[in-house]
Amino acid sequence: MNLFRSEEHARRWPQFNAGSETGLGFIRLEDLVAFFGTESRRHMLDADYLSAWYPKRAAERRAVLERLGKTTPFWMGTPGTP
Amino acid sequence: MDQMFSRIMRALVETGRAPHYAELARALGLAVPQSRQLLLDVMQAYPIGWLHPDTDYIASFPPLNNLPTQYRVSVGGEQKWFAQCGFEATSVTWLFPGATVRVQAPCLDCGEPVVIEMRDGRLVTVDPPSVVGHLNWGFGPSRGKPPFL
Repeated sequence: MNLFRSEEHARRWPQFNAGSETGLGFIRLEDLVAFFGTESRRHMLDADYLSAWYPKRAAERRAVLERLGKTTPFWMGTPGTP
Repeated sequence: MDQMFSRIMRALVETGRAPHYAELARALGLAVPQSRQLLLDVMQAYPIGWLHPDTDYIASFPPLNNLPTQYRVSVGGEQKWFAQCGFEATSVTWLFPGATVRVQAPCLDCGEPVVIEMRDGRLVTVDPPSVVGHLNWGFGPSRGKPPFL
């Protein structure tokens, strides 16, 4: 889960997984900001974050990924992925 | 668990370091062994973070990391934080409301800097403009793979 200067830089990375090729593993920065900026994220400093907000994360993530069209198991993970 | 979670997160924000469970014990009015068990419970409830293997030391407590990473985070010109990974780096902004959060990391390909600045969830600076996120193994299949990839 890294940031690269561009897709070409990522492809030149010696540890680049060819399975993430054809754009599968890439995400535009603006989309990443949306993915990691869901409502629950805005409450990480709240006193009840762990009990009240963290449990909402999985559903929020799925909703963003669906909106971005990233519905493959590569992005969606297993059902319990937080 | 909420109280301990909040203490850890706020300590990370304020100091750049995660406290040890023995330090948290007094703050939470717990005996030290109780504090250790509560830390283990918190980390189980927040599995996107982790302890350093075979220790009770907090290594990662996303979006921040207690163990330095290449994702250096600066706020107000002061660099004392690290993001867990490039993705979590885009979430650090929510820990510093009203402030400009700068994330700088060397590109893993060429070593040249990747810089983003965010304020209240919005991108302010992206350098170079072609910066992209990359998930190497997938969220499901990544289990068992180094999580930072």
